[in-house]
Amino acid sequence: MNLRAIFTSSSFIRNILVISMGVLIFTFSISYKHTIGLGKSTELLIHSYKIQLNLEQMLSCLKDAETGQRGYIITRDTFFLQPYNSARSEVIGSYYQLKSLIANDSQQKNNLDSLVIFINVRFSLLTRSLELIDEPEINITDLDENMIRGETVMDKIRNQINKMIVLEDLHFEEHQKKYTHEIYFTPNFTLFLLFFSLMVFGFSFIKINNNLIDLKKTNENLNVTTESFKHAEEIGNFCSWQWYIDTNRIIFSDNQYGLLGCAPHSFEPTLENFLEFVHPDDRHIITDGVTLALKESKPASAFFRIIRKDGELRYFKSVSRLAELNGGKLYIGINSDITEQHISNMALEERNRELEQSNKELASFNHIASHDLQEPLRKIQTFISRLSEKESLNLSQSGKEYFTKIQSLAIRMRSLIDDLLQFSRTRKIEKTFELTSLNLLLENAKQELIQDIEEKKADIQTSELPVLKVIPFQIQQLFINLIGNSLKYSKPGIAPVIIIGYEEINADEYGFLKNNNQKKYHKISITDNGLGFEQQYSEDIFILFYRLHPKSEFAGSGIGLSICKKIVENHDGYILAESKPGIGSTFSCFLP
Amino acid sequence: MQNGLINVLLADDDEDDRLFFREAFEKIKIKTRVKTVNDGVELMKHLIKNGNELPHILFLDLNMPRKNGMDCLLEIKRNNNLKDIPIAIYSTSASEEDIEETFVKGANVYIKKPSDFGTLKKILEEVITINWQYQTSGLNREAFLLNR
Repeated sequence: MNLRAIFTSSSFIRNILVISMGVLIFTFSISYKHTIGLGKSTELLIHSYKIQLNLEQMLSCLKDAETGQRGYIITRDTFFLQPYNSARSEVIGSYYQLKSLIANDSQQKNNLDSLVIFINVRFSLLTRSLELIDEPEINITDLDENMIRGETVMDKIRNQINKMIVLEDLHFEEHQKKYTHEIYFTPNFTLFLLFFSLMVFGFSFIKINNNLIDLKKTNENLNVTTESFKHAEEIGNFCSWQWYIDTNRIIFSDNQYGLLGCAPHSFEPTLENFLEFVHPDDRHIITDGVTLALKESKPASAFFRIIRKDGELRYFKSVSRLAELNGGKLYIGINSDITEQHISNMALEERNRELEQSNKELASFNHIASHDLQEPLRKIQTFISRLSEKESLNLSQSGKEYFTKIQSLAIRMRSLIDDLLQFSRTRKIEKTFELTSLNLLLENAKQELIQDIEEKKADIQTSELPVLKVIPFQIQQLFINLIGNSLKYSKPGIAPVIIIGYEEINADEYGFLKNNNQKKYHKISITDNGLGFEQQYSEDIFILFYRLHPKSEFAGSGIGLSICKKIVENHDGYILAESKPGIGSTFSCFLP
Repeated sequence: MQNGLINVLLADDDEDDRLFFREAFEKIKIKTRVKTVNDGVELMKHLIKNGNELPHILFLDLNMPRKNGMDCLLEIKRNNNLKDIPIAIYSTSASEEDIEETFVKGANVYIKKPSDFGTLKKILEEVITINWQYQTSGLNREAFLLNR
């Protein structure tokens, strides 16, 4: 599947949506994590701050206690001892709070333990100072020493607290660093995902939009097709129908009504209503056809008559077939009004019958010519020969002359009948084409004419001819007639030279061959040095019984060249004559 | 043929042709006895009737009333007693179909009735001098049609 196919496939949009959802969920989870992280960071800050606060509270309590004690020592007023009295409980409160805050931090725990020891020492030193002061005799040296020790311990406490604050700061910074590192990529990544999602959505939008445009176009095309089909039905005199077998619902196209002479949808489309229009004698054709088509699900066709609403009789043809559509059975078909074709068909059939009849008549004429006409003539000739043998001595001179005339006329009549028969045989319907060497047929033709050829001392120059699919005896007859023609119309006293030429030619070289499908033709030409004729007669000479010369000069029926033309036409070919009087003629046969 | 007399039988409905036929044999030097019948029915009756001597050669016209020559040819060739009689078709027509059909059905030679008495004599003489015992035309399609 190439890229284009992927983009145009129907599952593409679905995939895009799934990807988009995934991206959204991912983006949301990242943001959620980020928010949670932010909350933790704040908690951490508060935690640190609380520790610091408690530590500083501890320190300030101690300082207050110390300061209060000093005030008491100087003034002996017990009012100054108030901070000292409450300090212990406050320090213990802070201690427990701290303990719970740093429960998970072993280092700070150790630090806190050390701090507590220092604080206890400091408290015991304070207590000792009070005891020393309250003695009746104040030992200054002891008090000083005790006060100095207290100061040293206090310094240690301060240091310890500072150490703990610094450590807590360090912890906080570490956490902060770690967290910053963790969320460092989040904004960029979110931004990237946002753009990616926007791209995906944009792309989907374009795609959907394009699909919509395509759909619209397809819809328009469909409308055009439907509309054209409607017109086509009207022009072509046909209509279509669909019959949903399962629901027994029938749909007629508009033209179905039109062909019946009704307005579209002017009646309920049912088989019964349609049958109303069918000629009563033909209704069974429809019902039988439908039954058969539904049973055997084979394409069916029917021919029947329709009586239109206005009473006009029309001839209809219907073709139908049972089809499967979405698992349901659909019987579809086309009805065509073929009245015009039917009428012209009937006329054609009538003409055919007439033609057949005239062909039969022609055949019986052939029989008359071949048998019935020949028989009396043959007998006349036989009687003539009997007479001339037995009775010629009894005839006068003029009687003998008349008798000779009768004889030659009988011979002429015979040749006319023979040629006519030959001509009618060339138009025989059964023609068997065989692959035959034209050289052989030419040789046979020469053998037939051997007597004339020798008599006239004719020189026949032949070319190598092809092997073609022809009716052999007809082509042989063609050669006989054409060579015979050349021999017959040779110049008196000059030996005839007949040249038989052959070449393969392209149809477009000759105007009259152009309109055929055939591209190549075989051109066979017979050229002589005979009497020739005026070119203006070149077409007339092929007409039946047409003669250029009086009968007294040349015997003949005027049929020979007509036969040639017929033979060539039987082979879908053409024959041409070119001639110059006194120089000679060329007959060219073009065979496909 | 032992006594040198050749029995010739002609079946032809045409009176004139029968006349020419008889006259032609009268002019031929070879001694013949010519018998003619007028149609196919008569021919078959004559051939089958006991006591009738079978002809040495039968000339058979094709176009005859009642029973035509083609049917007679078939019947003769199917009959064991008659099938060896040499048969010369003797007809006005020389259509390819007739020539082909009679050849296939076993006729020995095909003669187109000539229009000249001299030719007729020549042909008939030729036909009866052929020794048909040794001549089986079935082998030779070209020689079947005697006169073109």
